[in-house]
Amino acid sequence: MYRYDDIDRTLVNERVAQFRDQTRRFLAGELSEDEFRPLRLRNGLYIQKYAPMLRVSIPYGLLSSQQLRMLAHIARQYDRDYGHFTTRQNIQYNWPKLEQVPDILADLASVEMHAIQTSGNCIRNVTSDHFAGVSPDEIADPRAYCEIIRQWATLHPEFSWLPRKFKIAVSGAPLDRAAVEIHDIGLRLLRNERGELGFAVLAGGGLGRQPIIGKQIRDWLPELELLGYLEAILRVYNRYGRRDNIHKARIKVLVKALGAVEFARQVEVEYAANREFAPVLKRAEVERVAGFFVPPDYEELPEQGVPANADAAFAAWHRHNTRAHKAPGYRAVFVSLKKHGEAPGDMSGAQMDAVADLADRHSFGQVRVTHDQNLVLADVPQRDLAALHRALEALGLATPNIGTLTDMICCPGLDFCSLANATSIPIAKQIHEKFSDFDYLYDLGEIQIKMSGCMNACGHHHVGHIGILGVDKHGEEWYQITLGGSARENAALGEVIGPSVPRSDVADTLARILEVYVNRRGDDESFLQTVRRIGVGPFKERVYAAVDTAA
Amino acid sequence: MRRLIRQREIVADDWRYPGEAGTGLQVLRLVELRDAVAAGTAPASGAGVWLEPADEVEQLAPLLPRVALVVLNFPKFGEGRGFSQAQLLRQRHGFTGELRATGKIQRDYLFFLARCGCDAFDLDPAENLEAALAYFGTFTVAYQPSSDRDVKLRSRPAA
Repeated sequence: MYRYDDIDRTLVNERVAQFRDQTRRFLAGELSEDEFRPLRLRNGLYIQKYAPMLRVSIPYGLLSSQQLRMLAHIARQYDRDYGHFTTRQNIQYNWPKLEQVPDILADLASVEMHAIQTSGNCIRNVTSDHFAGVSPDEIADPRAYCEIIRQWATLHPEFSWLPRKFKIAVSGAPLDRAAVEIHDIGLRLLRNERGELGFAVLAGGGLGRQPIIGKQIRDWLPELELLGYLEAILRVYNRYGRRDNIHKARIKVLVKALGAVEFARQVEVEYAANREFAPVLKRAEVERVAGFFVPPDYEELPEQGVPANADAAFAAWHRHNTRAHKAPGYRAVFVSLKKHGEAPGDMSGAQMDAVADLADRHSFGQVRVTHDQNLVLADVPQRDLAALHRALEALGLATPNIGTLTDMICCPGLDFCSLANATSIPIAKQIHEKFSDFDYLYDLGEIQIKMSGCMNACGHHHVGHIGILGVDKHGEEWYQITLGGSARENAALGEVIGPSVPRSDVADTLARILEVYVNRRGDDESFLQTVRRIGVGPFKERVYAAVDTAA
Repeated sequence: MRRLIRQREIVADDWRYPGEAGTGLQVLRLVELRDAVAAGTAPASGAGVWLEPADEVEQLAPLLPRVALVVLNFPKFGEGRGFSQAQLLRQRHGFTGELRATGKIQRDYLFFLARCGCDAFDLDPAENLEAALAYFGTFTVAYQPSSDRDVKLRSRPAA
């Protein structure tokens, strides 16, 4: 993975000193809350319901075991011994003390980490495919480009005060595990007939109050032109994005207002006009950074499946929580943070330490965070899988539910977040309780539930196969259900099935929806395929007929 | 008299902003400068012009030979269009006169503004200018080439 040099190290250390000074001035009354807010937000520090919340950047979700141990240390030392992994592959701490945040940042800097630009109206953490570098279907490893974008975006002189937050995702595989179509800018790595690398560029995607799927504005961007073209997009957005209304300020609103064709034209005009000054990547720099992401020293190992005498728990875990690897004899392994009864994405300090040890023992000392709030040990020899399974099971991290209904995305919701309208974690627990039969979950197959406690959509509900959105009705929590969304390639927004349902009825409503699926599905037809084929009508009928009968 | 930071020194201002009375050279709004040029009453050099965030630098560009001072207004915290105005004036339009930021800007913004080519800073009246001077050096390194030359860069663009 990428290692800091003197410039990187100096920058994060100077950032710590800067924030220490800003915090001191705020606590001394030299900075007002209004003045301090945009400064602290640029270091991921929110003021939440009960305490500040600190969001730490995990660039494109990649961690060393040493860094994961530091995250555990921070959880223990400054928080209540846990952290929450997010859909931007970051980690959030819910209970730090404001005056201790500079010390936390200094601890992070000691392991080449930071919280720079994890919130605020600036370019946020670049996200990517959690199987980058190991997936058999990959065109090229996206991580070098992610790191190059991370550096370019960090403390950018011109684009640090944008109209609104700005999110970039990069995918290097035809199967889109990075949700590039719902990002402000989505980049898809391509290889042309001459074997050269480049990008398809999408812009104007995003969720929130006005969910929009991104539009492709450039079919082929040569790789070395990446930063110059990003500058052109950002400059058009910085100049012309709306600043009069926070809800209309994302780039998606500008792209929609101009139309994707006109937006693309303006970007091309700006790009052409800026040739003399636009940054051009040097081949040597790309190679320098790519050199940090070369494959580890894989052994030559035979492929080995699940032994015939393996116990059922191992077989189920192997089937659901491990994935194919491009190196023979290896698998990529999910560490499930979706144990039934626990808040999705949460992890204790002890669990983090233990997974760091497992990464050292079984996966070249690296861990990835997925955007659906699990971890991945990406390079595990198949001969180690049984031992790894036993160890994860003992830690409560082997729930064999990856890709199933209970592997849901869930925001912190009203329990922590001051923006939320409704809770999400208790709803996740309600769903866990209702759907505790794994045979039923396996029979249902792949279903993604994504849940947000408000329309800001941190839980990506619009693109869940089943989306759940918490709404407030006269002080009561209600939940709106959407069906048919997807964040994969050919992304789609879910369709609302009807009036929202009360808090106590969410899991029962899902049961009725799943009943329709089981009754109507064709052979090997997934939930999403069935919804796309028959539409939301039959589901709606079943859900609301039941309500009428009950009334 | 207004004090400001110019070329890293605290100086008294010798200009009057639009709407300000008193002595000193008058800074014109963009539309006023354009009208004066159209009427043939604009000076051939040494003018000062005031840009709001929504003003297009492209409209000012042809008049720049007449201009010695451009004031970029930041009417509220978080307003970011001035950073692009500054870059465009310095890079694409080759402006070499005084490029001044005014409005809701504090010491914490100096590093970014200076990187975009601003060389004069009329900070929020609550700011302490003497204390602010140290903040140009908040960072000594940067990842991006820009309009300044003060930081150590990861790599300079091909010259």
